[in-house]
This record gives sequence, structure tokens and C-alpha cells, in this order.
Amino acid sequence: MPWDFVAFMLLAAICVICAGGVVASANPIHSGIFLGICFIHVAGIFVMLGAEFLAVVQVIVYTGAILVLLLFVLMLVDPDALPEFTSAHPVQRTVAVLLGMVLLLEVSVAILGRTVKGVASNATPENIALVGGNTQALGRSLYTEYLLPFEIASLVLTVGVIGAIVLAMPERLGARVRRRGTISLGHPRGTDLVLPEGVRGESPIPDSAAELETGLPSRREVIMVGNARDYTTVGRGRQ
Amino acid sequence: MADMPLWLNFIIAFLIMNILLVGMAYMTYYERKVLAAMQDRMGPMRSGPKGLLQPLADGVKLLGKEDLIPAAADKWVFWFAPLIVFVTAVVGVAVIPFGGTIHVFGQDINLFITDLNVGALFVLAFGSIGVYGIILGAYASANRYSLLGGLRSAAQVISYEIILGLSLVGIFILTGSLSLREIQLAQQGTISIFGLDVSNWYVITQPVAFIIFMIAAVAETNRAPFDLPEAETELVSGFHTEYSAFRFSFYFLGEYISMIVISLFASTLFLGGTSGPGSGEYWGLGIVWLLVKTILFLFFYIWLRATLPRFRYDQLMGIAWKVLLPAVLLNIMLTALTRLRGNGQISSGQLVAVIAVTVGVLVLIWGLNQLSNRWADAESA
Repeated sequence: MPWDFVAFMLLAAICVICAGGVVASANPIHSGIFLGICFIHVAGIFVMLGAEFLAVVQVIVYTGAILVLLLFVLMLVDPDALPEFTSAHPVQRTVAVLLGMVLLLEVSVAILGRTVKGVASNATPENIALVGGNTQALGRSLYTEYLLPFEIASLVLTVGVIGAIVLAMPERLGARVRRRGTISLGHPRGTDLVLPEGVRGESPIPDSAAELETGLPSRREVIMVGNARDYTTVGRGRQ
Repeated sequence: MADMPLWLNFIIAFLIMNILLVGMAYMTYYERKVLAAMQDRMGPMRSGPKGLLQPLADGVKLLGKEDLIPAAADKWVFWFAPLIVFVTAVVGVAVIPFGGTIHVFGQDINLFITDLNVGALFVLAFGSIGVYGIILGAYASANRYSLLGGLRSAAQVISYEIILGLSLVGIFILTGSLSLREIQLAQQGTISIFGLDVSNWYVITQPVAFIIFMIAAVAETNRAPFDLPEAETELVSGFHTEYSAFRFSFYFLGEYISMIVISLFASTLFLGGTSGPGSGEYWGLGIVWLLVKTILFLFFYIWLRATLPRFRYDQLMGIAWKVLLPAVLLNIMLTALTRLRGNGQISSGQLVAVIAVTVGVLVLIWGLNQLSNRWADAESA
């Protein structure tokens, strides 16, 4: 039983299934979770290719930092500020499906029809073992041959961080940031809608005398009828 | 490192994992006893002689509690999140060396589960994955306050993770390898300070990194004084408010296991791991020394919890980004320069020039900062 074949098949299969899950989940947080699982399995494939440093860096940086910040954004974004997600326009949908199929065809032809060739580098296993291992070889080439791109990349990242801070700062330091009381994109607005369809519920807090005076319907009744979609504005643009 | 048959590997892994789990259970007992001693009381005394069966009682209690899931909770994620924290904490122990290779019963046995050549980063990687347990637990609770507490906690953990990793770069420069076994072996050489021959423990050659590592380790495991996100007086209980019974115990015990693994990690990286008087001849003594050092670190953790008040969240983040990060980067620079000077790759003149330029730039930045503060004050006044 060739164990590395089994291992690769397992890692690759879960990777592809999770990638499908990213696209197909209704809940954006679930998409994020599937993406995280996909990244970890990609790290596994890196280990199989003998790039163990890259594998741990993939987990630490990509899964452990970038995806975490992505999940932060998903949880804190104001759903009302999002644009419309679905378009029921038939022409747009048909064009989208056609273009998608064309892209898939192109990629299949590129992969199956030709062989991918590159320039053989001098990073053969013997040379790597000479330098002392993967990490050492990577370090050497990063800090000697590719020093300039490395420094430029770090500058670009620093500019990105400063830009993010400048963009997120309110005009005056005392200004309050307006935010709706939402939980995240994964839930309908607020925690009020916990009852199944058509059930009447009662809030344990009784109406005050002032509220009873106004003559409006009691605040205590929570009725959820119809579609949960009607109770959220996610994907329906600014209302 | 000997090539062991798979069943032997499994037995070693099983043993180490079980010792870790029992250690975690008795860590709760140890903490309660030490906290009690520092607070001039007795701690658990009723369950068993001197309260030694208290962890058992706690376990039975937690298993027996009602398992509540909030109605609006995302069920799968609610179920999944505590497991991430627990599993990633336990896996970290796979690279810690408990000794070398011994020869018993006719077999060559490695006293560690594996020796990856990126071992130190492996522990950090699994710490990074552990953050997901916090974020997803906070999200799945369908509770605004849990979400906020969880996000705060996650931001704290990822900030201190950077510092944790960077504080180890000095050690990697001095050892030339990321493997924990190599790092431990490199500490068995001797260096002489002021005429005294001592073991080359990295706590002596990298004191700043040691201090920063300890601070970052305490913050990483969400322990006091960095436990604002899960303190009882704040945000109810933070991200694990809605968790009860055994799900809560996954978070709770996962935190303790993470403490134990980081203590083992720190002992291996800074205090020489299994080295100590007599550990060369008897491998058992090596394990004893490692456990003694680990218990010392755990005592330090509990001591901090007993004595220090907690940091406010902005103070916490301020310390990470404004104090520890520059300090750790300076440490890396100094270590690298010293290593280059020691190897003769740069001359004394170059060394002094680099340090002078760095100090000059830092003074310049400080000066500009002061100036800009003055201008801002003058403008708003």
C-alpha cells in the first residue's frame, strides 16, 4: 500500500471538497472555516513535497493571521453597507455561466494539452542538504539573490498597514463609529429571531406603564412568520 | 534519531499524551493549592487526602452538567470550536524532546515523538490554529458580547504570537537550526563568563528574549494579567460564556494544556531542556530535570495570576505593539551583529557604525514624535 499515494489523495480530496465548500456555503463564516481547512491541507501537501518550512509558514501566516483577519472583517462588517449579492437578471446570469465555462475549458486545455516546463534550478536535494536543509537554503536565496524584492515587499506591506490605519481612523478622535447591533453576517439581525416559524413567544420583561399607555401592540410578542430572509438585509444593499 | 517501528512510535506518543493529560488535570490542583498558599488559605482539602482527588471530582462534575446549546447558535461550529483549542494544544507536545535515544529491551527508543527540523515553528503553528477555537466559539454563541470578547481575545493572541515567534529568532541565529532537539543539544556546550564555566543555556545569552518570551507566553495563553477577554468581571465570561459542561472544559483544559506545552517549550529553548546534573548518565534524571523546569514555569504563571491586576485591553495591545515589538526587533539585530562580529564577518568598526546609525535613527524618531505632539497640542490649544 503506497502510503504517500493514500496520504496525497486524502489531502487533495479534502482540499478540493473544502474549496467547493468555500464557494457553495450560504454562510460566509462557514466559507471562512472551509478555507482554513483547505489551507491546512495545502500545508500538508507542502510537507509531502519536502518543503516543511513553507508548510509551517503557510499555517502560521496564511491560516493563522490572514484568514483570522478575514474572519474579523466578516464578523464586524455592517451588512447594510454591502452591495447586492444576487442578481436575478437572466441575461447577466447566462453570460456569467457562459464565461465561466469558457474559462474552465481554457484551463483544462492548458493543463491537459501541454506540458508545463520551467527552468531547472540548482536547488536539487543534494545542494539543499549541503547548505543544511530547506530553511537554510530558503534563507540564503531570500537574503542574497532576492534581497531587493524582499525589501520592496516588506515596504509594500508596511504601506498597506499604515494605509489601513489611516482609512479606519475616524475624522475626530472622539467620533463614535456607527454600527448596527448585528452579530455577524452569519446570523439574521440580532438575537431576536430565535423561534421557529409561526410560534408565539413572550419576552420576560413586562411592558412598562408608559408603553401600555401608548396603545401600540405589546412588545412582548415575538412572532416569526415566513422567511428568515425577510428579516435580514444581508445581500439586499443599502435600505 | 533511531528509526522506530510504527507501533513503538504509537506507544511513545500515547504515553507522552497521557502524561500530558494527567499533568493537565493535576495542574488545576496545583494551581488551586498555590493560589491558596499565596492567599493564606488551604485550597482543596476534602476530596481525598489533602484534596488530591479534586481533579477527579472536577472531571465528574463537568461531565455531569447540563449541556446547553443556545437556540440561535450555529450548531456545527458550536460543537467544533472547543475541539480546535483542545486538539491543537495537545499536538504541540509532539516535538518536545524528553531525552535522546536510549537502548532498552533490545530496542532503540527515541524519548520524543518526533524531531522535525522546523520543530519550534511547529509549536507556533499549532498555537496559531488555536485562535480559531476562540473566534469560532465566539461567533457560534450567537451572543454579541461573546463575539466582542472573542474578537478581543483573538486580536490579543495574534499580536502576542508575532512577539513569541520573533523572540525566538535570536535563538535560531545562535543555534543555526529550528529543530528543538538541536537547540537543546546546543545548550549543552559550555561558555565561560567571568571565568566561570556554565552551560550555554540561552537564558544567559538571550536574557531580553527570555523576558519577552515569558510575557508573550502569558498573553498567548490568555492568562492573568492578560486575561481581560475571559475575566469574570468583564463581558460575563468572554467567548466561552455560552459553553457549559464538557464543552467549557475543553476550553478550560485546553488553556491549561497550552500553558504546560509552552512551559515545556520554554524549558527546552531557554533552560536547556533535559540537561542538569546527572542527566548525561541517567535518562530518567533528564526527564526529571525537564519536569522540574516546567513546574518552575508553571509556578511563575500561577504567581502572576495571584499577584498582578489585569491589564486593560488598550494597555495590553499597546504593550505588544509599542514596547515588545521594537524590543524584540532590537534583540534580533543585536544578536545578529554579535554573531557576525564573533564569526569575524564584520569588523568592530562596522559593528559600532551600525549600532550608532540605529541609535541615531531611534533618537530621530523619538524627537520627531515629540515635535509632532507639541504641534498637535499647540494646534488644539
